Parts: sequence; C-alpha cells; structure tokens
Amino acid sequence: MTPSASAPHVDVATPERVALSLPVAGIGYRCLAWLVDASLLFFFWVALYFVITLLVSDVLGAFQALSGLTQTLLAVGLFATQWLYWTLAEVFFHGQTPGKRVLRIRVVREDGSPVGFFESAVRNLCRAVDFLPVFYATGCITMLLDSRHRRLGDLLAGTVLVREEAIDLDKYTQGPAMDAPGPGSGAAPGSGAGMQRPLDAEDVELVLAFLARAPGLEPEVRQRLGTRLVDRVGAALTDEERARVLQSTEATEAFLRTRAKAVH
Amino acid sequence: MAAPLPTFVTRRRPDWDALQALLTRQRAGRLGLTELRTLDMLYRRAAADLAQAQTFYPGTDAHRFLNQLCAQAYGAIYQPPRERWASTRDFFRRDFPATLRREARFVGVSAGLLVLGLLLGALVVTLEPRGAELLVPEGVRRYVAQGRMWTDDLLSVAPPNAVASGIATNNLTVTLFAFASGILLGVGPIFTLVNNGVLIGAVGALCFREGMMAGFLDFIAAHGPVELSIIVIAGGAGLMVGQALIDPGELPRAQALQARGREAVKLVVGCAPFLACIGVVEGFISPGHLFPTWAKVGLGLSLGALFWLYLLRAGRTDAVRAGEARASSRLR
Repeated sequence: MTPSASAPHVDVATPERVALSLPVAGIGYRCLAWLVDASLLFFFWVALYFVITLLVSDVLGAFQALSGLTQTLLAVGLFATQWLYWTLAEVFFHGQTPGKRVLRIRVVREDGSPVGFFESAVRNLCRAVDFLPVFYATGCITMLLDSRHRRLGDLLAGTVLVREEAIDLDKYTQGPAMDAPGPGSGAAPGSGAGMQRPLDAEDVELVLAFLARAPGLEPEVRQRLGTRLVDRVGAALTDEERARVLQSTEATEAFLRTRAKAVH
Repeated sequence: MAAPLPTFVTRRRPDWDALQALLTRQRAGRLGLTELRTLDMLYRRAAADLAQAQTFYPGTDAHRFLNQLCAQAYGAIYQPPRERWASTRDFFRRDFPATLRREARFVGVSAGLLVLGLLLGALVVTLEPRGAELLVPEGVRRYVAQGRMWTDDLLSVAPPNAVASGIATNNLTVTLFAFASGILLGVGPIFTLVNNGVLIGAVGALCFREGMMAGFLDFIAAHGPVELSIIVIAGGAGLMVGQALIDPGELPRAQALQARGREAVKLVVGCAPFLACIGVVEGFISPGHLFPTWAKVGLGLSLGALFWLYLLRAGRTDAVRAGEARASSRLR
C-alpha cells in the first residue's frame, strides 16, 4: 500500500521490545550526496588556489621552487584533507557529512547506533578501492548487487546509510476539523460525518493523501477522484446529502476533510 | 478498539514534539540531568506509541514518523562508548601492539610475500640484464645510467622534483591500497606486496650492477626498515580481510568481514603516525649528503629496532591477562 513498504530497510531490535525499521538510502541519494561533498571540496581547493595566486604571482614557478620536503608535505596534506574531511565529519556530526545532511541521509552501524571512529575510518579508507577504476564503478556495482545498497567500504565497516524523511503530522491535526463539532451536531457540508463509523487508518491515509495533492490536480480528475472517495468513505450518506456534497469540489473536499479528522 | 488515527495523533503529539525538540538540543550540545530524564521518559512513551501504531495503523505516515523519531532517540540514548583521548592513548599503549601480536601470522605471510618479490626482482635483473628495462621505472634508469642517485635532487631546486613527492605519495598509496584492496578476496595485498618487492629488488640489483650499491643503501638505510615494516603490516591487515572473505569460519561471511575489518583497520590506523614520522625522515635525512652513511644506517637500524620492540613488548602483561580472560570465557 505505501510506496516504501517494499523498499530495503534495516531492522533494529530495541531493548524496549519495539522493532524499528530504518529506510535505507539508495544509490541515487548516495551519488547526489557525494556530488555535493565533492563540489564542496572542489570549491575549497579552487578558493585556496585563488587566495594563493593573490599572494604569490607565479604559482607554478613558486611550486617548482619549493623543496621536495614541502612538496611532499603538500601532497600528504592534500590526501589528509580528502580523507579527514569525510571521517571527521562523520564522527563529529553524527554520521553526516555536509552533503549527506543536505540529502538527509546518515551513516549508522547496522544495529542503528551512531558510527564510531573506527567504522568511519574503515569505510573512508575503502573509498580508494570503491573508486576503482573510475568514479566509484566498483562501489556502484556493489551497491546495485547488495540488498541494502552498501558499497565495499560499508560491507567492511558494518555500516549502512539510512534516510530521514520529512513527515508532516499537521495534516492529521490541523484544519477545520480541529474546531469541528463533536458527534451528532452536524455542520453544513459534512453533516452526515458525525453519525458514521470512524474510518480505519488506511482510509484516513488515503483521504489525507488525496487532500494534500488535490490543489495540483486537473479539475476533472480532482472531481472524479473526490467522487470515488466520497463513495468509499461516505456509504451511509442519503441521496440528497450525497448530491449536496458532490455539488462542488470545495464541498467534496470539506466533507472528506471532516470525515478523515472526525474525532470520536 | 483503537482510537481513530487523527485522535491518536492529536492526543499524543505534544510528547512527540517535546521529544523531537530535546533530540535537536542533544545534537547541538549537552543536556541537563532533568532533561535527560525527560528524554528517557519521552522515548519510552514514543516506543509504546510506536508499538501501538505498528499494530493499529501500519503503513501510515504516523507510523513512519514514530519509527523515525524512535530511531533517532534510540541512536541518541544507546550510544556506544565514545572514543576520547584516553582511549587513543590506550589504543597505542595496548590495543594496537596486542592486535598485531594476535595477528602475527598474517604479518608474517605479508613479510614473506614482500621478500619473495624482492628476491624475484633481484634475480630477474641479475640473471637477465634487459629485465631492468621492464621492471625499473624509466626515470630511475636514466639517473642510474648517468651514474647518479635519482635521490640526489630531492632537496635541490632541480625540475625533476616530481620524483620526490612521487615517492612520498607512493608510500601512502601503497600502504592504504595494501590494506583496502584486501576486500578483493586478498588478491590486492598479494599483488601490492609482490609488486613493490619486485620494484625494490630490481632497483637494488640494478644499482649493484652499476656499482652504485653504496648510494642505494645510503638512501634507503635511514627510513627503509620502518617503512617496509609498515607496508608489511598494512599488507597483513589486507590479508586478514581477504581471509575473512575466503574462509569466514563459523560466522556468516558479512559478519566475519565486519569483525575482521575492525581488527584489521586497527593495524592501519596504528601505523599512521609512524608512517608520518618516517616520511619526515625520508624527506629530511635520507636524500643528499648532509648526514654520513654510517649515521643513516645507525639511525635506520635503531628506529626499526625501536619500532619492533614497541610492537612486540608494549602492553604485554595486559595482553596475557586479556588472553586468559578470553580463554576462560570460551570455556564457560
């Protein structure tokens, strides 16, 4: 019924004896997050380059004039920023690099607890292998094959990326239904709602999903879907009540809203 | 009979919002004692609500919301012990050397592979002089043909400086790749070790043939022992990963991989500061003629001896005790 019902997830058994199931971030989220991080690093280096060119006029000449030791340190430093960026961000920002934060995904251990230094170190050291031969080809193939979209580094570290969705609870609690009358005393459009049996969770979800999307629908589609929903949830309506509800889209949706939020 | 979904959400929502606010503050900084108690209480309530939602409202957004909220709170409450400075000290004092001693056979095999490569490279170049064209890099060969050490330019301003930073980044790459490529069924470390052994062996044999052995030894003496040890250790870590993949023992392959991976990365992380130090030696002391050869050899040997003394002795008594504890727990 729900789009994420068959999506891969991580099951966590908590001491409270309630099973959590965390939705796993797929290859698309991960690639986008990497793109964000990679662009950040890229712009960091570009900015650094421009700062240096402002200070030193002849960069190439200056670089060649540096001693071998300085060049070595520079090369090591470059590597360190590449590796430290990922590891420190994951350790100190609760499993999120800036790119992962933008995409709302997070690295966790397979039991759902936050990553520690060693896990993060392993999965980021393995970037070198996952990157082979070009642009994370190995990592991407592993992600496609693995049921939980883990790359080699994740397999070795025992980590997984989970997704955090922005879920809006307001649709359950806000709107006209809040000040709607209790059972019995019917308001104008949805007068029948109070006397009917309460909807089960599935119907509530269906109606609320429709109401959230209704403003973006084509008028005739909006009308048609609304009618079908009224027939589904308003079985106890008499004929003239039904005709009144179906007069206009506003009346239909007001009835559905009241019906879904009827508080018993 | 369960309450309708909107009723349920309306009634319980204040607690969820409060829990969410507390979690945001927990991420940002520290919570007071009373706040922690509240967090605990709210988490338990949310867990109970989640159980209810799983039973009566499965697949709804409310269920997904509670699931996510509980997951965040679970992560915040059941945190693994944090790695702090004390545990870093403990790691280098005990954990790292103890892990190395426990996995000594992998490091041994790794050393064997490197030596095999060394002999192979030296043998090929000695028996078949043209083999050097295949095994020794072009730039190095040109220097040797001119009768100079390619490392003489390391501290000078000459353009073929790229060789210098090449060598340093090469060590880093070799070390990391020797470990990380272990996930390719252990083929990666074997290849890396033998390949590097062949390279060093071939260059050494070439220098010997051209009568430049003194110069070669002069360059590698100071940093060679420790650096090769580190590459061998990283290779051993890679072999551990490969072995877990090929023969996971009684565990499922994925679990064996994680268990061994955690052990193996300790070896690599433990080597990191030593690799940095030896890099400084390689950059400062090894090239050029600032230091006499005997000083370099002495320094190299004593550094190597110190390194292995540390690896073999540090935290020994604790390791024995831990081993006994493990043995007794296995008996139970």
